[in-house]
Amino acid sequence: MDAIRRSLLGQLARLSAGAALVPLSSLAQAGINQQPARREGDPTKRYGMLIDLRQCIGCQACTVSCHIENAAPLGQFRTTVSQYEVQHQESGELATFMLPRLCNHCENPPCVPVCPVEATYQQQDGIVVVDSDRCVGCAYCVNACPYDARFINERTQTADKCTFCAHRLEAGLLPACVESCVGGARIIGDMRDPNSQISRLIQEHRDALMVLQPEKNTLPQVFYLGMDERFTTRPVAEPVALEVLDPHGQEMGYEFHH
Amino acid sequence: MNSTIELLAPRYDIAWYPWAVQYFFMIAISYASLWLAAPALIFGKKAWLPTARLALIACVSTTLVAPVALLADLHQPLRFWHFYAYANTHSWMSIGSVVLPIYLISVLGLAWLAWRPALQAQRSASGLGGFIAKWLSLGNGATPKVLVAVVGLTALLLSSGIMLYTGAELAVVKARPLWNTLWLPPMLVATGFIAAAGLVLVLNRASGLRSNDATRQMLYVLLGFCAVAGLIALSWLLDGMNAHVGSVAAALESVRYSPSWRSTALWGSVTGAALFAVVALLLLRPPHRQPALFAWAWLLGLVAIHMGWMFRWVVLMDVQHVARNSAGFHHYGIPAGSSGILGIVGTFGLWLTAILLIELFIPWRQAQQGGVNTPASLDAQASSDPLAATSDSLNAKQGAPNHG
Repeated sequence: MDAIRRSLLGQLARLSAGAALVPLSSLAQAGINQQPARREGDPTKRYGMLIDLRQCIGCQACTVSCHIENAAPLGQFRTTVSQYEVQHQESGELATFMLPRLCNHCENPPCVPVCPVEATYQQQDGIVVVDSDRCVGCAYCVNACPYDARFINERTQTADKCTFCAHRLEAGLLPACVESCVGGARIIGDMRDPNSQISRLIQEHRDALMVLQPEKNTLPQVFYLGMDERFTTRPVAEPVALEVLDPHGQEMGYEFHH
Repeated sequence: MNSTIELLAPRYDIAWYPWAVQYFFMIAISYASLWLAAPALIFGKKAWLPTARLALIACVSTTLVAPVALLADLHQPLRFWHFYAYANTHSWMSIGSVVLPIYLISVLGLAWLAWRPALQAQRSASGLGGFIAKWLSLGNGATPKVLVAVVGLTALLLSSGIMLYTGAELAVVKARPLWNTLWLPPMLVATGFIAAAGLVLVLNRASGLRSNDATRQMLYVLLGFCAVAGLIALSWLLDGMNAHVGSVAAALESVRYSPSWRSTALWGSVTGAALFAVVALLLLRPPHRQPALFAWAWLLGLVAIHMGWMFRWVVLMDVQHVARNSAGFHHYGIPAGSSGILGIVGTFGLWLTAILLIELFIPWRQAQQGGVNTPASLDAQASSDPLAATSDSLNAKQGAPNHG
């Protein structure tokens, strides 16, 4: 508590000194929009995920099990698998590419410093969570996340996101998406433990691993193996008309108009 | 090169609703009209007094309504007190939540000081108007000009804080490349001044004040800020034209692939250029022709307001429709309910109510930089503008001493 208060006072001092003396650009660097201190969670751990795309068949079992485990409202997802059909323009050969998406629990999460009430914060084990009792639902974090990993939960009217199933990890269980993955494509673990499966895989495939939108400098901690570089940013793709209906016959998916 | 199609693209809803547009629009008019009121009310320039009176009513009404729209954009509005219980100095929004209420108080303070002499003059009036004047004017003592200037300067300082935080709040969001540019905050300020000058032109006509001085001054302000906005847009474009990532690259991509973005870009540039040209033309007419033409300046005011609002709509709503990860563009209709049309209409309705309440109970036409308001000086002001005397049935009914 004392440390938090000290850093708060420090920020205030820097702010007021900055306001009087320095130009605006350096004021902006004097602490505004920088990461607040991490709190709670186990400081001896750093959770991360490695997704072996070579094992992903795009069955969406992770999407469904996450949806059930975390009781997300219909049409809102903490994780999904993007599915692409890629055609070689010369040979005409077709291939599918699957890209599971979820919160990247970034080392430099842009969603955290924007929160006006520190309802969303990063635990010391690296997991980014939301305190839904404190969240005011301003949705600033939803806009600040480049990965579309956040949404305003229709039912709670607060920000909602993947937590690596922190409640399950605490109980010694795997996250729902990892547990249900038929190909074993998702590997979660403590990256500070050199003997964990994820640490060994990262060590083994260090040069082949990629993250999404590295240019945003968010330092994502979800690593993709077997990734095509063209998919790390928004892929140049044609959308296909597809309707997903909920039980009331309302369209939940995306309807494209050409 | 391969061709790719995305088979399953989820729909990502917008996170900020049209309430946000209303807030950014209202608060921009608020801070800009405060600066338009400043020459007369803070620095004592008499020639700007009619402008200041119109700008002050614009400023107060929008300052009152803007925070309502902001609260409504929260999904948990009743938790607004969390902003103060758990303030986070790392967040521009949190800094804004501290600046905004102090700014609101300073604006209300300035308006009270500027309206007080006229309220004092109305104390003896009969009916509700007199009662409210008696209650609001807090005694007969003189209002020191220095106090008006000091409160006004404080308000100006805080308004700069509002300009800074509203702009920075958007500009720091790297996840929306179109916002993530240093040119956005100044552009918000420039279009804010365009909208505020436009509103003063419209109020000048609607209130029956019809001051030619105010019209001329506002046309110059419009001309200046149209030029500034044009320069900012040009600098932004040249600054990023050759970059592969960033704000300009994202904008060019949107314009290239989306017909609706193309028409938006075209509409914005054409309207801006046309507004600048017509205002310049109007100001270049020979002086004896100007009064007749100035009677139509309120139409330009409407165009200017439209510019300010549309810019915010495009920046806040349309940019949220640019997909960040999935293929194609999101297209949303505006919902009818409170997160859509009802919110927009409701905010404007509330604003109109605020204006009408001020019109009913406050002699805002006699706002001045403190001092004592004598009936003689009021008469002199009223008769200097013959049109004003005929138009004001509302105040006349309440027994305002100088109308009718």
